[in-house]
Amino acid sequence: PSLPEGWSAESNFVVHAPLSSSVNRKLEPVGPHFLAHARRKRHSRTFSEDDRI
Amino acid sequence: MSAPTSPPPESTEVDSKTVIGIAFGNTTSSIAYTTPDGKAEVIANEEGDRQIPSVLSYVGSEEYHGTQAKSHLVRNANNTVAYFRDFLGKSFADIDPTNSHNSAHPADIDGTPSFNLQQSDDETTTAVSVSEVARRHLVRLKDSASDFLGSKVTGCVITVPTDFSEAQREALIAAAKAAELEVLQIIHEPVAACLAYDARNNEVPTDKTILVVDLGGTRCDAAVVSSRGGMYTIIATAHDYELGGLQLDNVLVDHFAKEFLKKHKIDPRETPRSLARMKLEAEGTKRTLSLGTSATISIESLAGGYDFHSTVNRLRYELLSKKVFDQIVKLAENVVAKADLDLLDIDEVILSGGTSHTPKIASRLAQIFPESTPINAPATSATALNPSELSARGAAIQASLVAEFDHEDIEQSTHPAVTVAPHLAKSIGVCIDGAEQAFQTLLEAQTAVPARRTAQFIAPNGGDVVVRICEGVREIVVTKPEKKPSNVDRVIAEAGIKDVKKGAKIEVTVNVADDLSLNLAARVVGGQQTVRGSVE
Repeated sequence: PSLPEGWSAESNFVVHAPLSSSVNRKLEPVGPHFLAHARRKRHSRTFSEDDRI
Repeated sequence: MSAPTSPPPESTEVDSKTVIGIAFGNTTSSIAYTTPDGKAEVIANEEGDRQIPSVLSYVGSEEYHGTQAKSHLVRNANNTVAYFRDFLGKSFADIDPTNSHNSAHPADIDGTPSFNLQQSDDETTTAVSVSEVARRHLVRLKDSASDFLGSKVTGCVITVPTDFSEAQREALIAAAKAAELEVLQIIHEPVAACLAYDARNNEVPTDKTILVVDLGGTRCDAAVVSSRGGMYTIIATAHDYELGGLQLDNVLVDHFAKEFLKKHKIDPRETPRSLARMKLEAEGTKRTLSLGTSATISIESLAGGYDFHSTVNRLRYELLSKKVFDQIVKLAENVVAKADLDLLDIDEVILSGGTSHTPKIASRLAQIFPESTPINAPATSATALNPSELSARGAAIQASLVAEFDHEDIEQSTHPAVTVAPHLAKSIGVCIDGAEQAFQTLLEAQTAVPARRTAQFIAPNGGDVVVRICEGVREIVVTKPEKKPSNVDRVIAEAGIKDVKKGAKIEVTVNVADDLSLNLAARVVGGQQTVRGSVE
């Protein structure tokens, strides 16, 4: 099939709504994945920056 | 008394720290370390025990610890301290001394719970505060680990229940410090159990909601933990301070006491010493019943000079303990309800703590969950780890992870600025027109952001494809008890990919930042075309 009628989005991407608001919760500071998260957060790195290091 | 030993070589600079994990319980404690290849192993003390009773006993100037001290509960109850972990960091007014009735009683010394113990060869008693008792206990644990590892243990990670207050944590750190043991971190018991399981298979952890039921000797704790990409968040906890293995021991004590009473017209529960002996032996019988279908008990000269021998089979024991099992099931149901979840939302159950060896408890819990939900206990899963070792193993793994960190590093990483993260309220997934499954979840609800997930989908028809990013909500259809993959709640964004061959794979990566902006990349695997977009 082809894209629906009236599909006129630039760069083929349409935004409809933002995400629902989040809930703040406390992560358990345990395990290798949390430590990676803490490292990213403390150095304000994104995932891809972190992957490169 | 021993030959003068050369002072320990202090010059050898500590190039690598020796760290262990300690599970410090009211009833038993255990110690574990990680092998160089990253596997956690529980250490046995000199007596060969892996579950070391948290008991200290004094005879003259001798100090006894562990199983030896526990046997002193019969002859030397007043100089034996047991069940003291939960007294740490509390004022005398706040403690519940119920479990101390059969051992040294806590006394009020300036508000701190203390024990009056005879520690020398004369009759004088001295007051020993609960933190000093904890220090001595930790010293013994540390020494056992040091002897086993052949090097002095310097640091440790200790597990505590989730309801441990700040004051209790500080008291524990202080007691460890007095024992020359640096506490690298204090972690929660249910999370340690999850970590022990996740560390077992070194693959990328899946997103799942885990119910951890920790069944101890004097208390039972339950927690719902959401595990997302290997990060854990505790959603709800429940505690019962009057439920545990001791109650099961009492069931057996009552059963056997009635039998003895019928035969000899003497109630062995009426004299403290014979009651203590019965309790000690009943515990052994209970353990045997977890492994075999019948067990014996035999106590020489129990009361009135009569010996006591008897047998009990597992069926009879399970019948007598039904009330306790019911309470455990209820605790599990309560905590799931507290988390605003249904039993169907639980993907996995982990049974932890010594009482989890009881086969009936595992099978009772298995009954309330769908058959597909794994119940990790020895009776219901062949691959289950020893439930008594989970906390210590988890602590040992965490200890090895943070061993090289500076104190400041750990402090910063565990700071609320890092640990408090926004969690998604609804799951985020992808709908592809014509695909078999309407909605495929990429990020589950309760995932901490920032988070990133990638998944591949097959283009069902070929031609142009619309990748629809949606938020979903879980729905339970009552007609058939089955957890449905989330239903579409609303569409967030759409990405169109043109001219896709039928059956081609489409890879979708979703990246949610902590300000809840979403980045999407969709591409055909092996093709040139990529659609990117972001939702602010």
